[in-house]
Amino acid sequence: MNEEKKSKKLKFLSWVLIICGIYFVFLPNRYTQASLLDFFKSEKDGKEEVINLDAFSRIPVLRGGRVKPMDSVARNTLLVLRNKRTALDENDTKVPAIQWLADVLFAPERADELKTFLIDHDQVLGLIGKKLVQDGKHFSYRDLEPFIEEIEASAQEAGKVEREFRTYFEQNIIELYHGLVLYRNLKTTLVPPPHAPSSAVHDHAELEPLFYNSEEDKDRTSEYQRFRQLTADLIKHPEKIVLGNKEALGPLMYFIDYYARYNLYAEFFPLPPEIGESGGKWRKIGESLVGTEPLESKEKATIDPTRFIATVQSLVRIDETELVENIQSIRENLKLDSTALFAAQYAEAIKLRKGIDPIIEDYEQLGIAYRNSDAVTFNTLVEKIRNQVDQRAPTDTATIAFEKTYNGYEPFYRSSIGYIWILVIACSSWLLSGYRKPGIGTNEASKTLLNSAYILTGLVLLAHTFGLAGRMYIEGRPPVTNLYSSALFISWGAVLLCFLTEKFLRLGIASSMGSLIGFGGLVVAHNLSIDSSLNPSGDTMEMMRAVLDSNFWLATHVVTITIGYSTTFLAGFLGIAYVFSLLVRFLFKRGNDGRELNSKLLSMIFGVTCFSLFFSLVGTVLGGIWADQSWGRFWGWDAKENGALLIVIWNAIILHARWAGVAKIRGLSALAIFGNVVTAWSWFGTNMLGVGLHAYGFMDKAFMPLMIFIGAQVAVIGLAYLPALFGLLTRKKHIQVI
Amino acid sequence: MPQKNKGLSSLSERRKRFGWLIPFADLRLTLTLLSLSMILIFVATLEQVRVGIRGAQAEFFESMYGIWYYPTQFWGGEYFDSIPIPIPGGYLLGGLLILNLLAAFITRFQWTGKKMGIQFIHLGIIMLLIGQLATQAMQEESRMQIDKGESKNYLERFHGVELAFIDVTNPDTEQVVALPQDLLEQGGIHYAKDLPFKVKVLDFGPNCEFNSLPPAQKISGPAKGVNRGVIQTANLEIRPKAEDFSSEGMNFGYVVFELFDGSDSLGTWAAISHPAGNHWWAQINPKMGDLAFQPIRTNGRLWGATLRPQREYLPYSIELLGIANEFYQGTDIPFNFESEIVLKMEENQTRRALVYMNTPLRHAGKTFYQYQMNKAADYTVFQVVRNPSWLVPYIACILVSIGLLWQFSFHLLRFLTKSSKAGLASS
Repeated sequence: MNEEKKSKKLKFLSWVLIICGIYFVFLPNRYTQASLLDFFKSEKDGKEEVINLDAFSRIPVLRGGRVKPMDSVARNTLLVLRNKRTALDENDTKVPAIQWLADVLFAPERADELKTFLIDHDQVLGLIGKKLVQDGKHFSYRDLEPFIEEIEASAQEAGKVEREFRTYFEQNIIELYHGLVLYRNLKTTLVPPPHAPSSAVHDHAELEPLFYNSEEDKDRTSEYQRFRQLTADLIKHPEKIVLGNKEALGPLMYFIDYYARYNLYAEFFPLPPEIGESGGKWRKIGESLVGTEPLESKEKATIDPTRFIATVQSLVRIDETELVENIQSIRENLKLDSTALFAAQYAEAIKLRKGIDPIIEDYEQLGIAYRNSDAVTFNTLVEKIRNQVDQRAPTDTATIAFEKTYNGYEPFYRSSIGYIWILVIACSSWLLSGYRKPGIGTNEASKTLLNSAYILTGLVLLAHTFGLAGRMYIEGRPPVTNLYSSALFISWGAVLLCFLTEKFLRLGIASSMGSLIGFGGLVVAHNLSIDSSLNPSGDTMEMMRAVLDSNFWLATHVVTITIGYSTTFLAGFLGIAYVFSLLVRFLFKRGNDGRELNSKLLSMIFGVTCFSLFFSLVGTVLGGIWADQSWGRFWGWDAKENGALLIVIWNAIILHARWAGVAKIRGLSALAIFGNVVTAWSWFGTNMLGVGLHAYGFMDKAFMPLMIFIGAQVAVIGLAYLPALFGLLTRKKHIQVI
Repeated sequence: MPQKNKGLSSLSERRKRFGWLIPFADLRLTLTLLSLSMILIFVATLEQVRVGIRGAQAEFFESMYGIWYYPTQFWGGEYFDSIPIPIPGGYLLGGLLILNLLAAFITRFQWTGKKMGIQFIHLGIIMLLIGQLATQAMQEESRMQIDKGESKNYLERFHGVELAFIDVTNPDTEQVVALPQDLLEQGGIHYAKDLPFKVKVLDFGPNCEFNSLPPAQKISGPAKGVNRGVIQTANLEIRPKAEDFSSEGMNFGYVVFELFDGSDSLGTWAAISHPAGNHWWAQINPKMGDLAFQPIRTNGRLWGATLRPQREYLPYSIELLGIANEFYQGTDIPFNFESEIVLKMEENQTRRALVYMNTPLRHAGKTFYQYQMNKAADYTVFQVVRNPSWLVPYIACILVSIGLLWQFSFHLLRFLTKSSKAGLASS
C-alpha cells in the first residue's frame, strides 16, 4: 500500500517536471513573444483602432544581402546597439524591438529619448560625463548627442591603431561610434537627411521653393514630384543641357547629388524590384529616384565639365531602349573614365528613373499616420505595402512569415533554459541516490528523476533541433555557416550523443554533461552574436563569402568537422565527470563502490573518442579535398587546418594510449579533458592569430574567456591527480584510488 | 591455425624474420612521435604570425628540426625569448612515423579479416604521409595574370626570378634567353649558345630596398660598381634584405651582372624585379621605367635585359573574355568571382570555359584557380598548380574510410549483440 502510494507520488513528480520543461521550451510563456503553437496559426487580425505593429513587423525589406521582415531588422540592430533585442524607456521598462524601430523610422524625436545604447566601459562613460554606479549603462541618443563630435574624434584616433593592438577603450569607442552611425542611418532610411546646399555652389533662393515644406506639402513626395518636373522638362528639351545653363542644371545637379548621397545614409533597402525588371534588385529611396553614384563622390572633382555636359546631353537625346544599352556599355568598357561614368548616372537619373515608386508615398503616409496615432490609416497602409511587396518580389518573401514567428519563439534561448532545468534534475538525482540505504537496491526517487531528465533531454533536443532546422529553412543552407552556428551545432551534436548514451546507460552522467555542453554552447553562441567585430550587422544569418558558397562542402566538411569538435568536447566533459566523481569518493571516503561506475565511464569516454577520431579525421580529410578542389593543394599548413589536425592527432593519442595500456581510467580522463583545450584552440584560438585562409573573424574579446577555459581544464586535470598525490604524501598506500 | 599458413601472413613468422624491427613498432614510440607532432604543429602555427605560412613551412615542416624562440608577447616573454628551443621537424617526425607504421605492419598487425580495418586505416595514413612529402617535393605553384581581351601563354612563379635577355631586333619574333634563379644564386660566368655575350653574375639577392640618390652622391652596396643601365642613370642604391615569406610579402629581387663579348667587358648592369610586375616601375619613378627592359646594343642587334618572376611558357594560351565580380546587395560580401576564358590549344582547337570559386580549369596536368581579380582595371589572376601526386590523398582517404567503416561496424555489431544479450538476460 505504502509502496503504491509512493510510486504514484513519483509518477506525479515526473509529470510535473516534464510539463515544466515543455512549458519552458514549447508553450507560450512570459519570456518570449511567440510559442510553437504560433507556427501553426495564421496571422492574427489586429483590432481596427489599435496600431498593428505585428503586421508592420512583417513588411519585407532587404538588409545585409538578404530579404527579411522588418522585425529582424529591429531585433538585429538592437542586438548590435544594446546587446539585447529590446530597448528601454526612461523608466527602464522594456520596449519591444519593433516599436522602437517604428519610433526610429517615423517618430525619431520619441526614439531619441529611448535608451538604445549600451556603454559599460568606464572611460567611455567618462567621455560623456557619466558614472556607471549613478547613471547605469544604458543611454539614449539624446544623452549622447552633445558628445558626438568628441566620440567621433576619439574613434577616428583609435581607428588608426591596428586592430590587434587596440586597447579596450579604443575598441569600445569605435563600437560606440559605429553604433551611432548605424542609428543615424536607420533614422534616415525612409526620411532623407536635411538639405544643406552649399552657398558657394548653389543658388539658395532658387532651391528653397523646391524643397519639402511641411506646412504646404502633403508629404515628401511633393518634393520628389518637383524634381521629376525638372527632369521631365529636360527630356523634352535636351538642348537646355549645355554648359553654363545654371537655371536648368543648377537645381537638377543639386538634387541628383543629394539623392545619390542619400543612398549612403540609408540602412536598408525598402523598395522591392519593379515589376517586369530582371535581376531582382532592391532599392533605397535615393536609388529609386536617381540611381547610385558610379564611383566615390570625391572622384567627381576629376571630371571634365565640357565633355560631361556634352555626354549627358547626347545620352538624354537617344531613345530609352538604346540608352539602356549605351549606359551598360559605358559601365563595362569605360571603368576608369569618371566623366563618362557620372554622365551615365545623370542620364539614367533624368531619363530612365521615371515617376515615383508608390511605396515611397505609402511609407510617407504611414509615418504621418503613426505620428498622429491614426490606427485605421496605419493598418490599411501596412496592408497595402505588404501586398505590393508580395506582388513585386514573390520569391523573396516566401520565408518572411516563418522568420517573424521564429524570431519571437527564440528557440535557443528556450533551449538554454531547458538545459539548466535538466542539469538541476540530474544533479538532484545524484544527491538523492546518496541517501540510499545499503542493501535496499536502487533508489526509486533517484531513478524517477533520472528518467525525467532523460525524457526532458529529448524534448529540449527537439526544440534545439527545431531552432537549427529553422535557420536552415530561412537561409537555405546546411546547419553550420559561421562561427555562431558552429556553436549551436556543436552543442546540439553533443546533446544528441548524450541522449543516445543515456538511453543505454541511465546514470544521469550523459544527461548532465550533455545539458552542460548544450547550455555552454548556447551561451558561447549568444556571446558570439553580440560580438560586433564578428557580427557587425547583428544578423547571425549573414551571407556567405564566395569561396564558402558551396552547400555541398558546407554540408559535408563543415558538418563532420563540427561533429568532431562536438564529440571531443563530450569526451572531455565525461572526463570531468570522472574527476568529480573521484573527488567526491575521495573526500567522503566512500571507498570501493566506484569500480562499476569507472568501467562504465571508461567505456563511454573510449567510445566517444572513437567517434571523435572518426569525425575529425573524415572532416579534416574532406577539408583537404575541398582545398584541393578550390586552391589546388590538399594541405597548406593553414592555421585552421593545423588546428583540425591537432584534434585528429590528439584523439589518436588517446586511443593508442589506451591500447598500449599506458593510460587507465584516470589517465584517459586527463587526456580527454586536455582534448577540450585542443578543441578550443582549434575552434577559437586559431582565429585569434589573424593569419591564414580561415581567419574569418579576429576575435579579441574571446581571448580572456578562452584562457580561463583552458586554465580551468588544466586545473581539473590537476585535481584528477590530487588524491594520488595526497596518498603519496601521507604514505597511505592502502588507499586505492582507481 | 593450419600448418600450411606458415608464410609471411603468420605474425609469429614475421616477428621471427624481422626481429630487429620490433623496437621500431612500439606503441610508445608512436605515442612519443604523435605528441612531438602536436608540439611541432602548434609551434609552427604560432610562428606563422611572425614569419608567415611559407616561412613556418620552410623552418619547421620541410626540415629535420626547427629552432623556436618563445614569443616576446607571451607571459614571461622578456625572460624566455632568447632561449633557442629545438623542435623536431616535419621530415624527421614524418619519416619516423612512416618507419614506425611500417614496422608495426610487419611485426605487430595480424593480417586477418577481423583486423583488416586497422590495416586499411594505417595504410591510408602511410599514403597520406608519403603523399604530403611527395607534394612538398614536386608541387609547383605559379600565377597567370591576363588583361581583358588579351591572351597569355606563360605562367609566372610566385617565388623565384629569372634574368631574361630578349632580342627584339626583328619586330616579328622575339628571342628570349633566361637565367633561372638557381644559376643566379650560384654566381659565376654563364654562357648560352643563343646569347652573343657571356654573363657574369656578380651579386644576387631575393629581396632588397632601394632608393634614388642625388646624382652627385656616390652609391655603396651591391650596385657600387654598376656603370651602365637604369641603376646607373637613376643613381640607385641597393641594400639587400632578407626574403619576406609572409603571404603579403613583397620581395624585390636584384641582380648585378657584367657582360663580356669574348674577353672585353661590355659594362656592369643591375636589375631589380618588381613583385607585381615590372610594368609598375614606370609608375613608381619614370627614371626607373626601363627596369622592365634595359636596352643592350651589341653587334648590330638590340637586346633587352630584365629581372622578372620566373616564367614557364605553355604550348597553349588563354584569352580572357570577361570577368564578373558580384556582391550581395547592400554588403561588401562577394558571392562570385568569375572569369570567362577561351583556351586556345594546339592545332587551332579552342574551348570556352568559366573559372570561378570552387570550379577551376584543368588542362594538361595543370589546374587554373580563380585567385584575384581587379574589376576596375579589368584583369584576372589565376593560381596555377601542377601537382603530379594529387591523386595520392584521394586514394589514401578511400582506404582510411573503408578501414574506419570496417572497424566501427565491427564494434557496433559487437555492442549491439552484447546489449541485446544483456537485455534478454535482464528480462
